[in-house]
Amino acid sequence: MQGDVSDLSRYDHHAARIAAWRNRSRRVRYVCYFLITALIVWSVEEIVVADTDWSRISWESMLRSAQQFMSVDLSIFRSLMGPALETALMATLGTLVGLVLAVPVAWLGAMNISPLGRTTYVIGRGLMTLSRSVHEVVWGLIFVAAVGLGALAGVLAMGIRSIGFISKTVAEAIEDVSPGPVEAMRAVGASRFQILLFGILPQVIPVFIGNVIFEWDVNIRRSTIMGLVGAGGLGLALHRQMASYNYGGVATVLLVILLLIIAGEILSYYARKAVI
Amino acid sequence: MSAILEVRDLRVSYSAGREILKGINFSVEADDFLAIIGPSGAGKSTLIRCVNRLVEPTGGEILFEGRDLLKLGESEIRAERRNIGMIFQEFNLIERLSVIDNVLTGRLGYTSTLRSIFRAYSKDDIRNAVRLLDRVGLVEHLDKRADQLSGGQRQRVGIARALIQNPKMLLVDEPTSSLDPKIAREVMALIREIAREFGVPVLCNIHDVDLALEFCTRVIGLQDGIKKFDGPPDKIDKRVLADIYAMEVL
Amino acid sequence: MSTPVASAAKPLPEWSRFRFPQSLYKYAAALATLFFLWWSLGTLRIDIERLPGILGRMFEILSDRYWPPDVNHVLGSGYIAAVVDTFKMSYVATVVGLLIAIPLAWFGSFNMTPSRRFLYPAARLIVMSCRSVHEMIWTILLVAIVGFGMLPGTLAMTLFCIGFSGKLLAEAIEAIRKGPVEAVRASGANQFQVFLFAVLPQVRVAWTGIAIYTWDVVFRAATVVGFFGAGGMGHYLRESVQRVESQEVAAIVLSIILIVFIAELVSAWIRARIAKAVA
Repeated sequence: MQGDVSDLSRYDHHAARIAAWRNRSRRVRYVCYFLITALIVWSVEEIVVADTDWSRISWESMLRSAQQFMSVDLSIFRSLMGPALETALMATLGTLVGLVLAVPVAWLGAMNISPLGRTTYVIGRGLMTLSRSVHEVVWGLIFVAAVGLGALAGVLAMGIRSIGFISKTVAEAIEDVSPGPVEAMRAVGASRFQILLFGILPQVIPVFIGNVIFEWDVNIRRSTIMGLVGAGGLGLALHRQMASYNYGGVATVLLVILLLIIAGEILSYYARKAVI
Repeated sequence: MSAILEVRDLRVSYSAGREILKGINFSVEADDFLAIIGPSGAGKSTLIRCVNRLVEPTGGEILFEGRDLLKLGESEIRAERRNIGMIFQEFNLIERLSVIDNVLTGRLGYTSTLRSIFRAYSKDDIRNAVRLLDRVGLVEHLDKRADQLSGGQRQRVGIARALIQNPKMLLVDEPTSSLDPKIAREVMALIREIAREFGVPVLCNIHDVDLALEFCTRVIGLQDGIKKFDGPPDKIDKRVLADIYAMEVL
Repeated sequence: MSTPVASAAKPLPEWSRFRFPQSLYKYAAALATLFFLWWSLGTLRIDIERLPGILGRMFEILSDRYWPPDVNHVLGSGYIAAVVDTFKMSYVATVVGLLIAIPLAWFGSFNMTPSRRFLYPAARLIVMSCRSVHEMIWTILLVAIVGFGMLPGTLAMTLFCIGFSGKLLAEAIEAIRKGPVEAVRASGANQFQVFLFAVLPQVRVAWTGIAIYTWDVVFRAATVVGFFGAGGMGHYLRESVQRVESQEVAAIVLSIILIVFIAELVSAWIRARIAKAVA
C-alpha cells in the first residue's frame, strides 16, 4: 500500500538535525576513545618497556619462581595455627571497634537526624570519606607508629577503616526509613531521643547487622596482611618466610590464608542468612 | 458541656503558596464522635495532623482544654501530645517489637530516657497494657512480633497504644482504608465502643461516607480546604453530599 | 473475633520482660561475649591496663616525632614522578582489568550467562579467586616472580580490579529487565548479539559508575603497592620507614591522603555529571 510519500519530506529537517547530533556525539565519543587508548599505550610503554628490567626476567626465571611456590612446605603448617587464630581475632575485634565508632558517625552523617543540620552532616560524611580513603596498609603504619608493633595496631587500623563502610550504609538506611513509625512516636509525645530509639533504630538494625557481617568478612582479608606492616598474625609469618626466601613456606602460609578466608566466607554466609 | 477542642480560623499553606486549609472553624464536645468527610485533597489529613501539631498551621487557634496549642513551645507540645491519642491509616507500629512493647510505647511520654533505653516501664503501665490488649481481644498475641499480625489485628494494637496514654481525645486518621470492609466495620465499632467506655471524644478522618454516617454523632464536610457542612448525620442527604464532593452522588 | 467483655472467669496473664529461660539465655550470651572479649585481648597480647590512656599516648607520640611533616621531601621531582607512575599503574590496571572483567561478568551473571553449568561457575570462581586474595598479597607474589618495578604492581592491580569490578558488573547485569532481552532473542539473535543489544544498553549507566568507582579504589591501592616493591609512591614510603625518618613518613602519608581525597572528589564529580546527563 503506497502512502503519500511526499508527506515524509516534512520530516527530512528533523532527520537531518538528529543525524547531525548523532555525528557530533559520535565524534566526541571517538575522541574520548582515542584519548583513552593513547593514554594506555603511553602508560603501557612506560611500565612494560621502560621500567621493567627485562634483562633479569626471563621465562625461565619466572617458571623457576613459580615452581618454588609449588613445592609447598607443609612442615610449618602446624605452627601457623596460632597466627591464623590471631588473624581471625584481630579481624573480629577490629570489626567490633569499627561498628561501635560507626554509630555516632552514622548519626552525624544522616541528613534527617543530624543534630546541627548541614554542619554536622558534612562532618559526618567527611569522617566516612576519610576512613575509606586511606588504605588499610597506611592506617596500619600510622597505628604501628602510634601504639607500637603488635596486634593492637592491626585492630585499631581495621577498626578505623571499617567505620566508613558501616556508617555510610547505616546513614543511608536512616535516611530511607519509612516515616510512619516516626510519626507515631511523635504523636505519642516521645522525646527526640525516644523517637530515634523506637521510630528509626528498629528499622535500621537489619541493615546494620548485615553490613557488619559483610565488613567482618572483608576484615579477615585485611587482617592477613596487617602483619606485613608489623601488626601480627599470618602476615608476620608471611613476611618471615619471604624474608628467608623460603618460597615453599610462603606457599604454605598462602594456603592457610586461603583456608581462613574460605572459612570466613562460609561463616558470614550463614550468619547473614540467620539475620535476614 | 464545654468543648474539649475548639478550632478557630485554622489556616495551613505550604511554602509553594498553595493554601491547604482556608480558615476552618469547629468544635468537639466531650461526647462527640466527629467524622470528617470529603474528597481526597480536601485537607482532611492535614486538619487532623494540625490538632497535635504534626503539621504546623500557618494561622488560627487550636484550643485544647482551653489552651492554645499553637502557642506552646517544643517540650510543652510534647507534654500535651500525651493527652491526645492517635490512630493511623497504616497502623504505624514498630514492626520488630512485640505487640505488648508496641502498646507500651504509648507511655513513652511518661517514661524517662534512661528507662526507655531498657524498656523498663512501670508495673502499672505493664498491667494496663495487658488489660487493654485483653479489651481489644489480642491478649494471646502479647509476645508476637507486630509484623506477624493481620491488618485488623495491627489496627487494634494501634487502638490499645492510643488508649494507654489515658488520652482526653482521640485523633483517628482513616482507620479503615487499609482494611477489608468486614474488618473495617469491626474496627470502627471497637473504636466507638472503647471511646464511649473511656469517655473520650473522637475526631475521625474517613473517606467511606457510609461508614462515617453509621458510626458518628456529628459530621464535618470538607472540600478544598473549606468547611462545607457541620451537623448531625441525619441531615446528610444527596444534595449535601453533592455539594461536598462536587460530583454526581451514586 | 468479637471483642470480649472483661472475662471475670479467666485472670489476666502476668507479663514480665524477664522470663525463664529466655532471659537466662540472653544473660549467658552477654557473659559469653564479655568472656570472649577478655580472652581475645589476652590471646592477642593486648594489655588491657594500658588501654585507657591510649589516646593521649598516641597523640603524644605522633606530635613528638611525626610533626611537622617534612614537606620538602614530597615536593622533589623524584616523588612527583612516582605520583605520576602511580596514576599510570592504576589507569592501565583499571582499563585492562575492566576489559577482562566484562566478559567474566557476563558469564558470571545468573540471568544472562550463556552456560549455567560451565561458564557461570567458572567465571564466578575466577572473580572470587581474585577477590579472596588481598591485593597486597598479589603484589608481593608478583614481585617475587617478576621482580621489582611497575610491572608487578600493574599486574597485581589488574587482578584486584577483576575481583572488585567483576562482582559489581555481574550484579548490575542481574538487575536488568527481561523485556528487551526477550525482544532481541525473539528476533533470532545469538547469545553475543543479545548481550550487545539487550544487556549493554541497560547496564551502560551503572557500569560507567562502577568503572569510575573501581578506578578510585584501584588508585587508592596503587598508592601503597610501592611499599612492597611494586613501583609508585609507596616505594618512597617504605624507604622513609626503613630509615626511620618519621617526618618524611608523615609528609608522604599526608600527601597520599590528600591525593586520594582529590581523586575521590574528581571521580564523584564525574559520576554526578554522568548521572545528571542521563537523568
